[in-house]
Amino acid sequence: MSQPTAVTGSTGVSRRGRRAARRGNVVPLRGLAPLVVGLALWQIFGTDDSAFFPRPSTWVVQIVDLAKGGTLWPALGATLESLLISLVVATIVGGILGIIVGASRFVDRALNPTLEFFRATPSSAMVPIGVLLLGYTLTMKVSITVIAAIWPILLSTRAAMREFNPTLLDVASVFKMSWPRRIRTIILPAVSTAVLLGIRVGAPVAIIVTILIEILTGITGMGALLAQSQQEYNSAATFGLLVMIGIVALLFNFLVGWIESFFTRHLPPA
Amino acid sequence: MPQRPELTAVGDLAFSCRSLSVEVSTKSGPKRLLAPLDFSVKKGEILSIIGTSGAGKTTLLRVLGGLVPPMPDSEVLAAGVPIQGPPDRVLMVFQDYASSLLPWRTIRKNVALGLETQYHGEELRDRVDAALDLVGLKARGDEYPWRLSGGMQQRVQIARALAMEPAVLLMDEPFGALDAITKSSLQDELLKVHEQTGATIIFITHDVEEAVYLGDRVLALGGVPGKIIEVLDVDLPRPRSQIMTKEMPEFLRLRHRAYESVVEAELRLRTDQ
Amino acid sequence: MSETMAIHLARTPAKKKRWYARWNWTGAATTLVLLILWQLCDQLGLIHFAYIPSPLQIVGGAVQLLQEGALQAAVAHTATVAVIGWAIATLIGLILGTIMGLSKTVWTWTAASVEVLRSFPSITFVPLAVLLFGFSSSMELVVVIYAAAWPVLVNTLEGVRTISPGLRDVARTFHLSVWRNIRSIVLPAAASKIIVGLRLGLNLALILALAAEVIGNPEGLGYGLTVEQQALQPARMFVYFISVGVLGIILNAILQLIVWWTLPGITALAERGRKS
Repeated sequence: MSQPTAVTGSTGVSRRGRRAARRGNVVPLRGLAPLVVGLALWQIFGTDDSAFFPRPSTWVVQIVDLAKGGTLWPALGATLESLLISLVVATIVGGILGIIVGASRFVDRALNPTLEFFRATPSSAMVPIGVLLLGYTLTMKVSITVIAAIWPILLSTRAAMREFNPTLLDVASVFKMSWPRRIRTIILPAVSTAVLLGIRVGAPVAIIVTILIEILTGITGMGALLAQSQQEYNSAATFGLLVMIGIVALLFNFLVGWIESFFTRHLPPA
Repeated sequence: MPQRPELTAVGDLAFSCRSLSVEVSTKSGPKRLLAPLDFSVKKGEILSIIGTSGAGKTTLLRVLGGLVPPMPDSEVLAAGVPIQGPPDRVLMVFQDYASSLLPWRTIRKNVALGLETQYHGEELRDRVDAALDLVGLKARGDEYPWRLSGGMQQRVQIARALAMEPAVLLMDEPFGALDAITKSSLQDELLKVHEQTGATIIFITHDVEEAVYLGDRVLALGGVPGKIIEVLDVDLPRPRSQIMTKEMPEFLRLRHRAYESVVEAELRLRTDQ
Repeated sequence: MSETMAIHLARTPAKKKRWYARWNWTGAATTLVLLILWQLCDQLGLIHFAYIPSPLQIVGGAVQLLQEGALQAAVAHTATVAVIGWAIATLIGLILGTIMGLSKTVWTWTAASVEVLRSFPSITFVPLAVLLFGFSSSMELVVVIYAAAWPVLVNTLEGVRTISPGLRDVARTFHLSVWRNIRSIVLPAAASKIIVGLRLGLNLALILALAAEVIGNPEGLGYGLTVEQQALQPARMFVYFISVGVLGIILNAILQLIVWWTLPGITALAERGRKS
C-alpha cells in the first residue's frame, strides 16, 4: 500500500528555485487558495449546531476541550511513539532483507511468492489476525505497521543491490579492503540512498496503518480518539481531529523528505 | 611472430609472466581469453599495450592487478613474488572513471580512500593535498564527483592511485573517453608524474600514437585468444613533447610499424572468421 | 567483438527460456516446503500458539465457509464495491488530473491544496464517512472513491505535465481540437504514468474497502474477518485473510490484462525501460 511520490513543481530559474525543485516540493503557495477559501466560506455560511457539517470554529473548540480533558496530548504521543518505533524497525529489517534478497538471486526467487503474498495483502486485513495473535498491544501495532511499511524500503534496497556498480567492488579489491571495511565504506553508503528513498515512500504508509490500527482496535492514539468522537456523534471533534491528524502527517512527511534530501545532497539535481 | 627474449635480471622486473593464459567458463564450455604469453616488465618503464578488440588486453591488465586468476600452469610474478590477489603497491585505474569514484564522498575523501586506514588528521590531509596537486585539482577538493567534468574525474582517480605512492600503475584506457585537448594535457601530466615518482606504468590504449608517444615499449596483442604479435622498443628521447617528438622520423617509423601490426592482425582476425 | 562483450554474452543465456524454465520453481518449492513445515509443526505440537491454525485446518475452514455460501458472498461484496468505487475514482482522477496537468493556471491555483489534502491519511476519513453515511455500503463506496481518486489524480497530473514539449508542439502544428489533442496525444503519452496511478488506486480501493468493512459495514471480507476474530475461529479467519490476498492478486492481474489488451505497446515500452 504505497502512495505516489510528491509532485515535482516547475523548475524555477533562480538557484533557490532549482535547489528546491531538486527536492521536488516547489509548489506555488497560491494553490492553497481553494482550501483557504473553502474553509472561510464554510465558516461564514455554516452554523455551529449543524449535525453533519459544523463550522471550523467549532472544531477548534472541540480540540481545545480534548486538550484540556487530558486526552489529546497522550494520544498524539502514543501515535508518534508507535510511528517512530515502526519506522526504525522497518528500516532495519527492510534494509537487511533487501540486501540479502538483492545480493542472492537464489534467495530472492525462493522467498518471492511468500513476500509477494504479504505485499499484496492489505494491512487492514492483517489487523484482526494481529489482534488474535498478539492482543491489543504495542507489539501488535508495531508488527503490523512494519509489515505494511517495509515494502518500499525492501524493494528499494533490493534494486540498489541489483544495480550495484561492479567497478566499485573492483576498486575495493584494488585497495585491498577487508570485508568489514568494504561493507562500511562502499556497500552501506551505496545502499543507504536507496533505503532513504524507501523510508520517504514508506513513512506515509506507516502513518496510515498506525492510525488504522488505532481506529480499528481502540488502542491509545489519535485514531482511537477519532473513532471515539465518531461514536459519540461529535462531528465537530471528528473534523477537528481529522485536520489535526492531517497536519501531523504533513509535517512528518515533510520532515522525512527533508532528511532524505539532506543525506542525498551529494547527488546531482534530478 | 617471434617474441624477444627478456635479458634483464629478476630484481629489475616489476612483472614476469611465463605461459600466462586465462580461461573463463561459459555456458558453451571453457573459453580461452589469453593464449600462453611470455613477457616481462622492467621497473620504472612505461609499457603501452595495444591490440585488436577482444584480444584480452583488459584481461591481461586485470591479471597483473590480481583481479583475475590465471590458469594454474601459468607463472605470473610481481616483483619476484607469485600473484595472489592484488599485489603490493600495484594500483589499477579503471576505464569507467565515473563509476570508480564514490559518489557520496567529496573529491578529497575519494582520494583519501586508500590512505585513511593508515594515516589520520594532518598527515592524511597533507598526503591527499599532495596527490591532488600532482594532477592539479587541489582547488576542487571539497566538491562532489558529479560536478566535475570527465577529464577531471579521471584525474581524481589517478590522484587517488598516486596518493598510495604505488610502485606500479595499471591503467585501462585512461584517456579513451576524453576529448583531444584534455587527452594530450593528461598525457603530459602522466609523463610528469612518471618522471617525479619513477613508478612503473602499464596502460592499455586504442590510440596507437599515444602508445608510442608515452611508452618505453609497445606491446601489441592480437587474435582470439590474444597472443603477443609484436613488441616494439621505443627509443625516443625524454622528456617527450607533443609537437617535437611527434615530428621525429623515428616516431613516425614506430607509429607506422605499430599500426601495421595491429591492422594486419585485425585483417587476419576478420578473414579467420 | 570486444572482450567485455564476449564475457557478457558468455554469462547470459543465448535464447529465450522455455516455459518451464520461466516458472519460479525455486519459489514454489520453498513455499511448499514452508507449508509442510507449518503443518508438521502444528501436528507435532512444536508451536503452541493458541491461535495459529495449521494449513489443513485452514482448508477445512474454507470448505465450511464455501458450503455456507459465506465466503462467496463476502468476496462478491468486497470485489464489487472495490471495483465500482475504483472505476468512479478513476473517472474523477483522470478528468481532474488532465485538467490540472494541461492548464498551468489551474495547476498554479490548486496544486498546493492537492498536496495538502493528499497527505491526509485516507483512513482518517472513514470515521467521518461513518458519521455522515452510517453503517452502510454507501459509506464504504464513498470511502473507496475518495481514497482511490488521489493516486489516479496525482499520477495523471504528473504524466500529463511531463509530456515532452515536442509532442505538445505536434498538437499545436496540427491544429488539433482540445478533445482530439487529449485523446490522441496527451493520454497516450501519459499512459504509463496513468497506469501506475490506476494500479495504486486499485490497491488502495481494496485496502479501504476492507478497512471500511472492518470498521463499520457489516458485509464483505473485512466483516467476515472481524466476525471470526471475535468468535475466536482462527481457521475460518485465516480463510478470509488468504482470500483477501488472492482477491488482490486476481484484481491486479485482471487490470494488467485489460491494460495489455487495450494498449499492447505500453507493456513493450515498459519492458524496454525496466532493467531486469
